[in-house]
Amino acid sequence: MIRIPYWNISYGILIDAFALPAMAVLIYGLYGHWKKIRQGKLRLKSALADMPGKIGPVYVPALITKGILGSKIYRKLFTGIAHGALFWGMGALAVGTTLVFLNVLFKIPVFEGAFNRWFMSFFLDLSGLAALAGLLFFLLRRLSPPERLVKPKERPGFVPPVCLLGAVILTGFLIEAFRIAANGPEPHAFVGNFIAGFLPAGNAVAHRALWWSHGLLSLAFIAYIPFSPLVHIFLVPVNTALASPLPGTRMGVIDFSSFDSEDAGEMPALGCAKLADFTQKRLLDYDSCLWCGRCHEVCPAASTGKPLSPKGVMVTLAEKLAAGGFDDEGLIDAVGENAIFACTTCTACMEACPACINQPKTILKFRQNLVMEQSRIPELMGKAMNSLEQRQHPFFGTGAGPKDWSKGLEVPVFEPGESQYLLWIGCAVTYEERAQKIARAMVKILEAAGVSYGILEESRCTGDPAKQMGNEFLFSELAKTNIEEFNEMGVKKIITLCPHCYNSFSRHYPPLGGTYEITPHAVFIQQLISARKLKLSAGGETISYHDPCYLGRRNRFLDEPRSVIDAIGKRIEMPRSGMESFCCGGGGGNYWAEEEGTRINQARSKEALDTGADRIATACPFCLLMITDGSKKFTEAQKAFDIAELVAEQF
Amino acid sequence: MHIAVLAKVVPDYEVPAGDFELVGGRAHSRYTRMIGLYDENAIETGVQLKEKYGATLSVISYGKTEDVSLLRKAVAMGGDTLNLVIGESDDPYVIAANLKMAVEKLGNVDLILAGQQSADMDRGIVHSILAEMLGYSFLPKIAFIEFDQGGWKVRQIHENGSRELEFKGKGVLSITSIPENVPRIPAVRSIFAAKKKPVDKMEGILGAPMNVEELSVQIPRMESVCEFLPMEDVGQTAKLLLAKLREGRYL
Amino acid sequence: MKSLIIEIIDPKRIGELVTAGRIFGGAPDILAIGKGGIPGAYGKAYQADELVAANIVDVAAELIQREGYEVILLSATTVGAEIAGRLSVALKAPVISEIIGIAADMTVKRPLYGGKAVAQYKINKFPVVLTIRRKYFEPAVLEGTTPAVSLGAGGAGITFVSEEEIKTEGIPLEDADIIISGGRGIGAKENFTMLREMAGIVNAAVGASRGAVDEGWAAPTMQIGQTGNIVAPSVYFAVGISGASQHLAGIANAKCVVAINKDEEANIFKRARFGIVADYKTVLPALTKALKEEQ
Repeated sequence: MIRIPYWNISYGILIDAFALPAMAVLIYGLYGHWKKIRQGKLRLKSALADMPGKIGPVYVPALITKGILGSKIYRKLFTGIAHGALFWGMGALAVGTTLVFLNVLFKIPVFEGAFNRWFMSFFLDLSGLAALAGLLFFLLRRLSPPERLVKPKERPGFVPPVCLLGAVILTGFLIEAFRIAANGPEPHAFVGNFIAGFLPAGNAVAHRALWWSHGLLSLAFIAYIPFSPLVHIFLVPVNTALASPLPGTRMGVIDFSSFDSEDAGEMPALGCAKLADFTQKRLLDYDSCLWCGRCHEVCPAASTGKPLSPKGVMVTLAEKLAAGGFDDEGLIDAVGENAIFACTTCTACMEACPACINQPKTILKFRQNLVMEQSRIPELMGKAMNSLEQRQHPFFGTGAGPKDWSKGLEVPVFEPGESQYLLWIGCAVTYEERAQKIARAMVKILEAAGVSYGILEESRCTGDPAKQMGNEFLFSELAKTNIEEFNEMGVKKIITLCPHCYNSFSRHYPPLGGTYEITPHAVFIQQLISARKLKLSAGGETISYHDPCYLGRRNRFLDEPRSVIDAIGKRIEMPRSGMESFCCGGGGGNYWAEEEGTRINQARSKEALDTGADRIATACPFCLLMITDGSKKFTEAQKAFDIAELVAEQF
Repeated sequence: MHIAVLAKVVPDYEVPAGDFELVGGRAHSRYTRMIGLYDENAIETGVQLKEKYGATLSVISYGKTEDVSLLRKAVAMGGDTLNLVIGESDDPYVIAANLKMAVEKLGNVDLILAGQQSADMDRGIVHSILAEMLGYSFLPKIAFIEFDQGGWKVRQIHENGSRELEFKGKGVLSITSIPENVPRIPAVRSIFAAKKKPVDKMEGILGAPMNVEELSVQIPRMESVCEFLPMEDVGQTAKLLLAKLREGRYL
Repeated sequence: MKSLIIEIIDPKRIGELVTAGRIFGGAPDILAIGKGGIPGAYGKAYQADELVAANIVDVAAELIQREGYEVILLSATTVGAEIAGRLSVALKAPVISEIIGIAADMTVKRPLYGGKAVAQYKINKFPVVLTIRRKYFEPAVLEGTTPAVSLGAGGAGITFVSEEEIKTEGIPLEDADIIISGGRGIGAKENFTMLREMAGIVNAAVGASRGAVDEGWAAPTMQIGQTGNIVAPSVYFAVGISGASQHLAGIANAKCVVAINKDEEANIFKRARFGIVADYKTVLPALTKALKEEQ
């Protein structure tokens, strides 16, 4: 029986007329969101990294893969499949409805032949089932939700639109069934055919009632979208399109020269204290957030009892945004100073977010305001920052002098025009006695491989701790001093021993005028191995590798350190490794912090020790210090070593 | 109300003993220079008083011209003017005479605050010499200051506790460190504003040094070989330690 | 050498100054500040019934000039700091503070740079005002008392309002033979209970480094270090103390330092005689237990 559109329905075209006010309400609702978002500041062009596929401000590849295909959702497999079923099922049904409409208007022959059987009947029935299954998954899950959905708060407002949509799908099936019951089975419409078997034949009234209900419910659903969490259908793809796919944060460059001017009004506010201080993109972040809690789950601070939850921060901001509190100066305290400083800037939250929200940037913007405008900073961190300002390194109370690390070693000094690489030692390796061995090991390796390198006479810090603590001013002062010196000496290539140094040089120095070719030492070692400059033998030792956040997740160097480990031993992976690596707890200035709750470094050390590996390897001095300290709770043995130390053992 | 605070720029006071070097009996010039720790407590105290009583806060220092950029931190913390007397003497009488000159140039200074002792010479004597030269009252190791009915009320910390004292007229107070006077971090705005505040540089006077001859300055050799006790069984370690302490007749 | 001690009535403090004075030759006289019998035997003893040391400066200067005293001995304490500078200006005399060593040839030693260096001076002019650091000289035994000549009141420049003594729980630091001291590594105020418990068993005093005091975990009177108390116990337990030079200056004369610290690279181990690299929370209870068992 060929299906006739609008069979049994008189004035069926009216439903399409009703579509107009529904669309109007939809657009009005979306406009309401835009009105809020546009209260933010305009985004700086410099915030957008240039990448292939970028058209204007839109990152097209990201939009397609993360925004439309929703690749990140599938990291949780069942949720991903349910969401995919719902999204694509509804997508197909929407296409189907449009085709019916086009058939009515323009007589496009959709109800004929194989297309009718396979697409209009079979595939759409299947899609409806899939959508319903997905919907049920989400609805039933809310009955006993996983912790991440409820902690620290559960987003209200899901149940009405979900039920509405459920009603839409069910009425849709019932309409089909009643139609089939009246007119006979439609080929391949297996759901409709099945249900029709239970229905009395020829109930035209029921069919008509259901048809109008379905139409009105659908339009009601569409109109309701912007007033419910389902607005993410629009907001999330836009957010992913505009979100820079570069991992980690950049924070932008503040032009401090305006502070020199006579006019106090000219000085820009530093960091963000109230909602209106954020850019429109950040406000879009807060509006897009679904409170799914994936960030909360992976956050090292949240999972060890600190007051920080990245979801919590987003929730506070989203609520403030919804309430229209753009000028509320109490925002920072509502988020919490302790929470803001508990962040280790590991960016696991950003990595996990399916909506491509940049939580760390928001947190760091708060920090900038607290530190540079309000002079609020936790005491120990403040001491480190003070030390960085006064003596150009943050390791106050150190027992080491600047040249102690190289005592007894002949280390060449960088000769401009002659040395190929500058070996940058960095403050942690210079002033922390355990970490000094990293430099000694690297020197041994470079000597064995015959590399042309040199160090600076004076040891210094890149300024990274200042940036992490929110003190952009101090960072830019330190960076400019370094850049001036490097440019004077004609430094082109730098080897870093610390991923924080690497990150500073490669990401933050170019906008300040310093562009060099930087290589992290683990990567350099791997390059030496590939070039056969180092002969290594793989021992029988099992080695577990801890990815430093600033090397792995934030700069995507995952394979190179692993190649090095494979060359010297047998690698065992920890449960959370690679891009999902769990932070050691030392980032974000939290190396200098009194921690609440469980210590992050102890949690990670336990995870590492539980692998049973003979040694734990890492490629960052902070990670080394944190894991060495964290392991002390569980074992007397010294198990944590830097990759350079392990390689240097062979010389 | 006009308050003056004395600040001295000294070599890094946290240079580890293992890295400490002398040249000509004084710390090597390679160490970074900074305002002394107690001086920062004094500056913080001064700023708090300024905020409480609406006073003017003048920063006075005796030292090198190069140190002006470091002394600006005191201004950024809340000082109104910076007054530097240029000179290089280490003699407390000479330093005090030069500081006296700066105080008198400022005129009508009601209260002078100073750090308990400097981080390089560690004498804690210049402020009281200055007080006597000026004819001001003097009290050391002050923690809290209040101005009440035309007089100063202060709390002094001593070895057995603290005491409340009062005096009228002008005074010099040396400040000890307490959680309440941990020096504030200046806001970036203030750092920039400080660059625009006036700096008065004066040529120092020779003054009359006291008749004490510096014979030598040396770094004492620290000799100690530490015996590390094993930590396998903490109970055993404890007993072992006690045994060794009794053996050495320490316990 | 005609020397005069100016000090509050505290036998230990006076005793140390007597020892120091004797090195210059002769026996010092004393000007005591406050009420009460003056311990020890002196050629001449004076007394100023005054609570605030600052108020006696003029009277003392007049006495010194009248009697021709050459060396004025004060302790490097709050009282000494209150008097020394002003007195030296009033006498037009040189002043040397924080003295840790004296030789009969009128040379003295004092620390610089937080104790990292030691300077030696020769005194050429008299009178001279000296402040002597606590616990660097053995307190002389003071027998009997000496009746004192009362000095007239000085100006009432500074008014005394009130005194607040911090009740030191247990033994005061300066008298203790054993001191158990906590630093930043202690972690929280409550954790000092563990130290007090152990101290209670062996009659030890509890001290703190500047780090712990700054955190508010211990009273300033408990602070040991260059700018706190200088102590000279037989055994000094440094618990969770890193060993910055300013702290080491406070324990320079401790006979045996036992360091307990999680960080094996901590500077304190360079000064310690015995070291335990562990979390103090595991070590102290074991030590406490062992001490209890020995009793």
